[in-house]
Amino acid sequence: MLKYIVRRLLATIPVLLGLSIVLFAFVHLLPGDPCTAILGQRQTPAACARLRENLGLNDPLYVQYLDYIGGLLRGDFGASVINSKPFFDEFSVRFPGTVELTVAALIFAVGVGIPLGRLAARHAQGWIDGLVTAISLFGISIPVFVLGLVLVLIFGVTLGWLPTQGRIEARAGFEPTTNFLLLDTALAGRWDLFVDVLRHLILPAIALGSIPLAIIARITRASVIEVSNEDYVRTARAKGLTERRVDDRHIMRNAWLPVTTVVGLQVGGLLGGAVLTETVFGWNGVGRWVVDAIGNRDLTIVQSTILVFALIFLIVNLIVDVGYAFLNPRIRYS
Amino acid sequence: MRPLRKGAVLIGVLVASAACGGASSPSPSAVTSPPADGATPTPPPANQAKAGGTLVVALPGDITRTDPALIDDSNSSYVMQQVMEGLVALAPGSTSEVVPALAESWTLSPDGKTYTFKIRQGVKFHDGTPLDADAVVYNYLRWKSFPTELQDYSYYAGAVFGGYGESSNVASVVAVDPATVAITLKSPSSSFLLAQTLTVFAISSPTALKAGKADNTELDISKVEYAQGGPTAMVGTGPFKFKSWVVGDNVTIEKNPDYWNKDATAYLDAIVFKPVAEEAQRLNGLATGEIDFAQTIAPVDIATIRANSELAVIDRGESCNTMQISINQNYVPVNNLKIREAIASAVNRDYLIETFYAGLAVPADNWMPVNTLYAKPLNLPTYDPERAKQLIAESGETDLTIDFYYPSDVTRPYMPDPKGIFEAITSDLEAVGLTIVPKTETWRPDYLDDEYAGKFEMWLLGWTCDWSGPDNFLKTAFFGYVDGAPSTEFAYRNDELEKTMNDALAATDEATAKALWEKAQDLIRADMPTVPLINSTPPAAARADVMGFVGSGGLNEYFHSVWLDR
Repeated sequence: MLKYIVRRLLATIPVLLGLSIVLFAFVHLLPGDPCTAILGQRQTPAACARLRENLGLNDPLYVQYLDYIGGLLRGDFGASVINSKPFFDEFSVRFPGTVELTVAALIFAVGVGIPLGRLAARHAQGWIDGLVTAISLFGISIPVFVLGLVLVLIFGVTLGWLPTQGRIEARAGFEPTTNFLLLDTALAGRWDLFVDVLRHLILPAIALGSIPLAIIARITRASVIEVSNEDYVRTARAKGLTERRVDDRHIMRNAWLPVTTVVGLQVGGLLGGAVLTETVFGWNGVGRWVVDAIGNRDLTIVQSTILVFALIFLIVNLIVDVGYAFLNPRIRYS
Repeated sequence: MRPLRKGAVLIGVLVASAACGGASSPSPSAVTSPPADGATPTPPPANQAKAGGTLVVALPGDITRTDPALIDDSNSSYVMQQVMEGLVALAPGSTSEVVPALAESWTLSPDGKTYTFKIRQGVKFHDGTPLDADAVVYNYLRWKSFPTELQDYSYYAGAVFGGYGESSNVASVVAVDPATVAITLKSPSSSFLLAQTLTVFAISSPTALKAGKADNTELDISKVEYAQGGPTAMVGTGPFKFKSWVVGDNVTIEKNPDYWNKDATAYLDAIVFKPVAEEAQRLNGLATGEIDFAQTIAPVDIATIRANSELAVIDRGESCNTMQISINQNYVPVNNLKIREAIASAVNRDYLIETFYAGLAVPADNWMPVNTLYAKPLNLPTYDPERAKQLIAESGETDLTIDFYYPSDVTRPYMPDPKGIFEAITSDLEAVGLTIVPKTETWRPDYLDDEYAGKFEMWLLGWTCDWSGPDNFLKTAFFGYVDGAPSTEFAYRNDELEKTMNDALAATDEATAKALWEKAQDLIRADMPTVPLINSTPPAAARADVMGFVGSGGLNEYFHSVWLDR
């Protein structure tokens, strides 16, 4: 097993290298250059020439690429052309925001989606099943930003129950250390702010989690129904096992596999959906950052963020694959 | 003392009294409620101002850096002007009235080249080190000698000093004695003093600059700690002190209890500036109280805000921008003066102002707003479609097709709804017989790149002032030559105008400067190279219990006078 994990990790290197070449090519195919982004209406040919020279944009592409890769190997991911912050200075602030949001959305999607799916499966073809199907159709159909805006208007502006934007009450003046605010507030013993951070998480997590929730509910339902028709389930019931035991030990154990696969895949979707959610809720995360960076032709930030995300995605996939082995003892990697 | 208006730029001696320094007593009525609903709350008098509290201010975007000399964006400047001070400042609420700040007074030599500033004594930087002439000189010499790697980020130092190092127009900056600094220019520049009110010319603590690697030895800006936030950043003398910057999330500043001007000590304990890019979010935040003050709101939201008794719209008064129909003279038929005059007569500016600016704008009668230094009425054509048709007939042009561009994915302070404004103008132009081919490009980078490169025949664009001087509009923004030739964007050649503007900038007395700038305006009026449309005052909005705010069309707004009636 260990050997397998090491091999998979090593395999990420050529993948990332290949990706970096493709990324670099694509990013440099974008029309326009950072001169407009930085100088705007104040650009002059002389100022643009100086800027391009200073940023190394006059070098041949392969030189720029090798400079970039060389920097990566030294742990230098470059700096933004907009605020000239080194990549990790800003990434380390924004990434925890996206992680907190994504995890919260995933917990919401799994925590609600799987029970809903099981409920629908148990009452297959009944009205509960129909209701769950309707809910999941709704979840898949409604765009994240529409749902987000509606949630903000109802629960934030009209009812005033929950905050409409940001990650924490601005007036609190809380200075984070890791930028995982739940962790930071807990470590600081500021439980009032811990609750405040949770309250800020609720609406964005629901908005972002709605689509994965719907998908997970559908897959769970289908998987449970399929397994329920297996001979061994009938045998289990015939043995006189309680319905609960049949459910836990015989149905769900086997139904987990496809659900796990889907949950793993949803992580990628969540990171994508985070762009919209972060915009609607003024969430200081990576998604909004990348979109702004593309608009600003902040090429270093775009490249480095996508590379880091690709790495994360590869690792999540590995975790999911390893997870199979635990869920299903018949799967063995070597 | 009542500081001098307008002509202050060239006035020799300006003696300051203790009450000066950009610090007036708070005016609680500055937050204006709408006249429309008649529900204007009567604010309590100034002596009831309450100290304490934290104000949450929504800005359109994040700051870029924490070193005032290495910024050129309005968000950074807006935050820094609460923390940092220069030798001179703009009076609250004004776009052009120069008042003393860290300089108590100044004189200008008769040849117009040497400014001698008396430095205020007893002032301490936020790090406890004293302000003296040496500190001022250290800052000015740092700006003058920025290495080429940092020049990309110090636009204003380059523009105002006319270059760097030996090629700079600044000949010398010396400490005559501990309380006197003399700045000598190679040739006179009548906009020099007004430009010194910009936040980028705020004086930082030399100790902090050196500690933060901002002493021109570190060439990689990402390693200049003074620019990157952290404990050594933004160390000035202002009524607030820099506390922290969480990139993308907030900048927090706190009250400076030891502020030198006791009449302008802040009421607020702290201010949190949050970047809130979405206009809807600013509105939601105001409504729920998550935001106390939105620096900029969309004019279309004004009705919603006025309908909410807990909120107030803030009219900034004087405009400091111009929106125009830009024209490139390399294209037919817009190279024909009669066609340009016809376009100017065809557009219904009042309709645009009511529809897109909620009335917070005036029709432009010049290429710069009316309150700009030396601006005079030019009697530009007003809405008269019949005259437009007649001019087109007289023009002799047969092909009346014009490619007309507007930017997508953007709003600007002078252009809140580019597409809507474009459609209204297009319909006006077609009504008088022109054939408009509508074109659009994304604002960044395509639109700005292509208009600059001269690829557009006619397009919408404007300018928000850096400083409220004629050179900033007429020369920098619009018609000044680039590298000795007409700009590629307008392709407008007028050598006499170029010479007149350069002479005006170099004039050593106010009368000459005034006469030359007025001549320049007449020259531009005669050629009508572009069509100015509107000067707007972008509105702000606040919770109704935010008191004492003084708005300015140039966003030179100081929060020391702001207090919370809670």
